[in-house]
Amino acid sequence: MPAWLDDFLWTYQNLVYALGINGLLALSMYVVLAVGQLSLGQAAFMGLGAYSSALMTLKLGLPFAAVLPLSVVVPMVFALAVGGPTLRLAGVYLAIATIGMGEVLRAVYLNVDLFGGALGLSGIPERATAPLIYGLLGLAVLALWLIGRSGIGRAMEAMREDETAAEVMGVPVRRYKMGALLASATLAGLAGCLSAHVSSFIGPNEYGFEPAVTILSYALLGGIGTPLAPVVGAWVLTLLPELLRGVSDIRLVLNGVIIVLAVLFLPNGLLAVRMKRIGARTAA
Amino acid sequence: MLRRSLLAAAAVALAMAPAAFAQGDAPIPVGAIEILSGPNAAYGTAIRAGLELALEEVNAQGVGGRKIALTVEDSAGNKDQAINAARKLIGRDKVVAVIGPTLSNEMFAVGPVVNERKIPIIGTSTTAVGITEIGPYVFRTSLPESDVIPVTLARAKARSVKTIALMYANDDAFSKSGFDTMKAAAEKAGLNILAIESFGSKDTDFSAQLTKIRALKPDAVGISALVEPVSGVLLQARQLGFGKDTLFVGGNGSNSPKLGEIAGSAADGLIVGSPWFVGKDDPANQAFVAKFRAKYGRDPDQFAAQAYDCMHILADAIGRAGTPEPAKIRDALLATKHGGVMGPFTFTPGRDPASTEGVVVLAMQGGKFGIASE
Repeated sequence: MPAWLDDFLWTYQNLVYALGINGLLALSMYVVLAVGQLSLGQAAFMGLGAYSSALMTLKLGLPFAAVLPLSVVVPMVFALAVGGPTLRLAGVYLAIATIGMGEVLRAVYLNVDLFGGALGLSGIPERATAPLIYGLLGLAVLALWLIGRSGIGRAMEAMREDETAAEVMGVPVRRYKMGALLASATLAGLAGCLSAHVSSFIGPNEYGFEPAVTILSYALLGGIGTPLAPVVGAWVLTLLPELLRGVSDIRLVLNGVIIVLAVLFLPNGLLAVRMKRIGARTAA
Repeated sequence: MLRRSLLAAAAVALAMAPAAFAQGDAPIPVGAIEILSGPNAAYGTAIRAGLELALEEVNAQGVGGRKIALTVEDSAGNKDQAINAARKLIGRDKVVAVIGPTLSNEMFAVGPVVNERKIPIIGTSTTAVGITEIGPYVFRTSLPESDVIPVTLARAKARSVKTIALMYANDDAFSKSGFDTMKAAAEKAGLNILAIESFGSKDTDFSAQLTKIRALKPDAVGISALVEPVSGVLLQARQLGFGKDTLFVGGNGSNSPKLGEIAGSAADGLIVGSPWFVGKDDPANQAFVAKFRAKYGRDPDQFAAQAYDCMHILADAIGRAGTPEPAKIRDALLATKHGGVMGPFTFTPGRDPASTEGVVVLAMQGGKFGIASE
């Protein structure tokens, strides 16, 4: 490899990682939005994945091959526990409950010594690689695409459009909601584990309210027509601040303006295509 | 394959500025990562002002016949952006040394990346425990709290303080680290710690904690938090009847002129240790303050002063290294002997500031800091 290319890859290595990880987070938002649930617990699930995996690496010394699959356990158990009561809620009440859940966890990280308090956990070895991150992202997109094309996908869309009508038509609404929440927790947990193992430091404020909104904005900007759309949204929002480095002083302003314009003129997201479904017929 | 094509896509998107190569008498590239946007931008812009003032002086003289070209990147206080900035500075701008980042949390993320590339990185405002333990290329010119607080507590002891209660904000790294240091220093100084109370940085009501402390009647109350909550604590403490007989001792967060602006006379009597003070009357400091006022039309703060010294220390090391090679600059940094605005400066073998001679204990009086009486 020539030296300049080596330098180039090194320079943008973290950005390449972040694109993949934020893509996974966008998908974890997508799966709940796809069934019409405004659940904003993704940052909290990510934090659980990040903290549990970092502790497994730092305190227990487990190999990364074991840490990565285990990192989804805590977020999933947590999702099962909170899923029951919170899934009775809808709309903005669900959003508030899930944000609250994130704040509760943040308070736990701050006050329990095991989690390092406000100082967070540092010295986490770099274990995740780009092929691993993008492999997982590719798998997740593929799996969600296949589900979206199947009968389940239709049921999910029906729920999103009108939950009561879908239930009357025999869609097992509760089961699908729980399934979506678990999938969301899994994806966010993996993203948390991967991000902890590429950036050597994690702290409680990375999983609070602000990141929860950032993750929501990935899906809002990209759209939720297909699983690829939120990933594209995440990529745009992750790349923008770096692309705008040249205009240092007005960087965040431009960043904001571009997002506002995108939302105003592309209300269905950057990728507003809908998925083709198995057995779909063109209307006669 | 997937990785390669993604990287190629990123390559196309990001190929913007050509890399600057240091050769001949071209300027020596040096990078800085500071918070220039977002809620903590005040710190980063003060640091940038200090760096740029020092840079003018350095370049007027030249470093071995060459100038220094400083590139300041914004981190927005975000860990990922700070890492991206560091990688961009090193990978594309080919800097021989990095100054910053602003916050200790950012340093914990950026330090390992820069250290891995064997480029010296110097924090000017990172006071938390464990910064320089990241690796052999990580330095700091800011006095860690563990050097400042013992000086402050020694002054408190000299005023016959025997018992102390500690309060701190438990939700930000700076305040928590400062508290850990304060607790250890109080124990070491033989003070009797009567109570430890915590609160959140955005809290506005501290009456429960203060009422409890009031009942214990400590000689002093130590507070480690950012300036806004410290002001809130002091205002409420006065309402709850804490008088002049209780000495309030601040951590580095209290060392801000904003304390007087928010708390007014409620802050009177509070003492705080500072690596620097605008009114310090040695000639180097007075010259710095005058130049800073002339260039920016306002008073420098401690962050600008620390950054000003850091730029001079780095330029001096590059000059002594003879050639702008990162490894040689590192060795030259370790041998630093500098007389700056914060007092005489050398590094310990652990790459922290060696001397606490420059620490001054300040006291609040009438809403303004002055040198504390004995």
